[in-house]
Amino acid sequence: MAEFFLELFSEEIPPKLQKNARDFLLENFKQIFKEKNLKFKSSNSYSTPNRLIILFEGLDKEIKEKSEEIRGPNINAPEKALEGFLRSNQITKNEIYKKNTEKGEFYFFKKQEKTVNTFDLLEKNVPLILDKISWKKSMKWNDFEMEWGRPLKSILSIFDNKKLSFKFYHLESSNFTFVDKEFEDKKKIFKNFSSYNDYFNKRGIIIDQNYRKKLIEKQLQKISERKNVNLEINVKLLNEVVDLVDQPHILSCKFDQKFLEIPEEILIITMQHHQKYFHTFDQKGNITNEFFVVANVKDNKGFIKIGNERVVDARLSDASFFWEKNKSQNLIKQISKLKSINYFEGLGSYFDKVQRMRKLGALISDEMLLSKEKIELLTSICKIDLISDIVNEFPELQGVIGGYFASSQGFDKDISLAISEHYLPTGLESKVPKKPFSIALALTDKIDTLVGFFGVNQKPTSSKDPYALRRSALGIIRLLLENKKEFKITDLINYSISLYRDQGFNFPNEKVQDELSTFLIERLKFYMKQKDIRYDIVEASIDSFSIDQASQMYSKALALNRVIIKDIGNDIILSYKRASNILENELKNKDLDLSNTTDPGIFKNEYEKNLYKKIHELRKYFTSINKDEDYYVTLGNLANAKPTISDFFDNVIVNDEDHTIKKNRLELLQMLCKTFDNYINFASIESIK
Amino acid sequence: MPKKIKKIKKKTTPKFQSFQDTILNLQKYWSKQGCVIVQPYDMEVGAGTFHPATTLRSLGTKPWKVAYVQPSRRPTDGRYGDNPNRLQHYYQFQVLIKPSPKEIKKLYLNSLSVIGINHNDHDIRFVEDDWESPTLGAAGLGWEVWCDGMEITQFTYFQQMAGMQCKPVSVELTYGLERICMFTQQKKNVFDLLWNNQGIEYREVFHQAEKEFSAYNFEYANTENLFKIFDMLEMEAKSLIEKKISLPAYDQCLKASHIFNILDARGVISVAQRAEYIGRIRDITKGAAEIWVNSQK
Repeated sequence: MAEFFLELFSEEIPPKLQKNARDFLLENFKQIFKEKNLKFKSSNSYSTPNRLIILFEGLDKEIKEKSEEIRGPNINAPEKALEGFLRSNQITKNEIYKKNTEKGEFYFFKKQEKTVNTFDLLEKNVPLILDKISWKKSMKWNDFEMEWGRPLKSILSIFDNKKLSFKFYHLESSNFTFVDKEFEDKKKIFKNFSSYNDYFNKRGIIIDQNYRKKLIEKQLQKISERKNVNLEINVKLLNEVVDLVDQPHILSCKFDQKFLEIPEEILIITMQHHQKYFHTFDQKGNITNEFFVVANVKDNKGFIKIGNERVVDARLSDASFFWEKNKSQNLIKQISKLKSINYFEGLGSYFDKVQRMRKLGALISDEMLLSKEKIELLTSICKIDLISDIVNEFPELQGVIGGYFASSQGFDKDISLAISEHYLPTGLESKVPKKPFSIALALTDKIDTLVGFFGVNQKPTSSKDPYALRRSALGIIRLLLENKKEFKITDLINYSISLYRDQGFNFPNEKVQDELSTFLIERLKFYMKQKDIRYDIVEASIDSFSIDQASQMYSKALALNRVIIKDIGNDIILSYKRASNILENELKNKDLDLSNTTDPGIFKNEYEKNLYKKIHELRKYFTSINKDEDYYVTLGNLANAKPTISDFFDNVIVNDEDHTIKKNRLELLQMLCKTFDNYINFASIESIK
Repeated sequence: MPKKIKKIKKKTTPKFQSFQDTILNLQKYWSKQGCVIVQPYDMEVGAGTFHPATTLRSLGTKPWKVAYVQPSRRPTDGRYGDNPNRLQHYYQFQVLIKPSPKEIKKLYLNSLSVIGINHNDHDIRFVEDDWESPTLGAAGLGWEVWCDGMEITQFTYFQQMAGMQCKPVSVELTYGLERICMFTQQKKNVFDLLWNNQGIEYREVFHQAEKEFSAYNFEYANTENLFKIFDMLEMEAKSLIEKKISLPAYDQCLKASHIFNILDARGVISVAQRAEYIGRIRDITKGAAEIWVNSQK
């Protein structure tokens, strides 16, 4: 057994590409070893910004290729096909024979058992696998044909301590690499991974990204304990930083305390997104001016610490300049300035948008029993932050900044919160507004947006959704479902369309209402699937309810999904199926004309009467429940009908010779199914037992 | 008791490289590497990339090495000289080498040491930054180079220019001169930079210009006329393209691009219009560049 060790040395490859390349190469080598039946003990992939490493340990040195019969072309195929077959197998005409198969007569060749050296196999396959790599973004350089994430400089490739020799575009594989990633002057020969790893380790360079990650995490923890601050390590940031350095050194830095007066979100974005620093909180949870930098070298002269501190100070002084300028600019007085920002071609300016939102918001506030004056104020000022310098600098903080403006200008807390949250939720994981004004504003904004974009036919396609309309629609769904709110969404859509029309925006799309309802239903389905609700239950709910009952639909589906695998669920489905199967069969075969009722007068036995009684009991229950229906109670009631239903089927033959009795019994079954369908249309739901 | 004699160390002000020396040193360095040192293009441009010595010369197959300083104008970044970090007019030092040499990173890092940044003392990082210029129809892959957390250079391998694939590929280095000097001179305000060694500061050279041009860009520029000028320049460019005169046609593109930037700074171009104007500039740029490439064959 031996070791296969590959190092690809390049200029700095971005973190995401590093991970993709690691995974891709490892997977592809594993695949080819599996194909060739080559066994190995362990496999690993490592990377630093400049080095991409694939390592297989305990790899078989040779494999025996079994003897097998290989089929060639049909005997009637053109001569060229045969020639190709001979060439690709490196054989002569004497070695082949004809044989009949089900598909006709073919040439065959008996391949003898053969021993293949892994060394040879690798020399042949490494360049092929390298060539297959698919980068999310790749580039060319110089006048070469190769495409790589960033310029590839050298390939070190070793099997069993020996150099593999192959060509890959303009490069030739070797047994050395460049030891200095910047200067590429010194080359060093390596025979195996462990000497390579040791060599770099001694120089403070950590090849293994997992180890690097642990080390950075540990050091960050240690330093934050020493400084008595809290750290919430953002996993995405940590992973990125790990792939940005190969010799991490943590520096503890500070920015000027005066900047703590700027909104926390600005500080965090500046440090985390722009500078890739780790920010800290004090014991009370307030952000502090201490932050940690993961540098890539030791800060021998202290320059690096000072430099990073100055960068943050400069960035924050910029931000603070804008914040001070903007925060006192009167929100109400600026409303008319919204006329100068275009919302979208054919949908007017942001001023037009907030005018529509005022009216739509008023309708929603009526339904939610909220103050109309407040919602009108809220809709009018919620977009003002778009004209501020600070949002221009930090576009990802739109809304949040508006909230800060409102609170610094003395507006009520629920107003500033609603402004701050009105773009939420922004996805499946994002926070959902819970306060009434926040819900109302978020809903108003999203409906106006969706109606407008659908109106001018800017609908998302399967691959493109440049205006994030799916996200907006999912936002509406989550606002409704997670707050258990029900709105006549179709009415809101219609009202919104009329508001556009009143402003003189006539939509080229006349089917906005239908298309948007379908679009919202699609998002609801997506949401339900994400919650692991069974496909048949999702379909049945969509079938049974409209988007105007989204919350109810979801809660019912969720409850049913929970009980479906339990006895309750099984009892319900089996009871229902026994009735619906008979009905379906009978309705299919003859032209039966069933009425919606049955005639208790011609019941012949107790079982029919009991079932009839049970149905009435259930119907009474369904008419008695209102908005606060407990779906588990409902499902329990349906399940409890099982003994009565079973008794009926065990003792009554529906298919009576007397046609009138038979019809009466079928009507009884139909009543049963329709009663069950009050909950959800059970017809397409399957039992698992 | 004998008094300890405190040695009074005379505080020597560290010798910083002045703004003009930084430029001169970069020019000398890249001249030694075989670059043609040309002068700034005599026209308002948004970045050093727009200089025909980069845009046009990055096209076609002929090898090319050039370096120059280029005053660059970004009307939207004007702050009336009140902001310590923002300018509507600033300097870039630009290097373009075609085809991109193997040892370009080494050449670059050595260039930093001639302007007072020894890479061993600092955390120099190559952070992913893919560059795109919609008006030029250009795209490239590379990095922004960070020195102790501050971006000091754009490092780009051109992949596409004026809508055409680059073959061979050029590498472009764009040094942000003000930022670099703020770093080496340890200044918090750009206007405090030492321009030369005789006490002239950046403020003296450019503060008034920042104030007046900010006012022009944001308040006084006659937008109605500018819209007309834009149309006229576009017409002129098209007619020159028809006559196959590439360089003057490209000049019209640069002028149009700058007019667009002023209009953009005034906020008179809506989002939808914006895409349209950018498209118009890209189209004439592409036209001019195509004729230029053909003229090189």
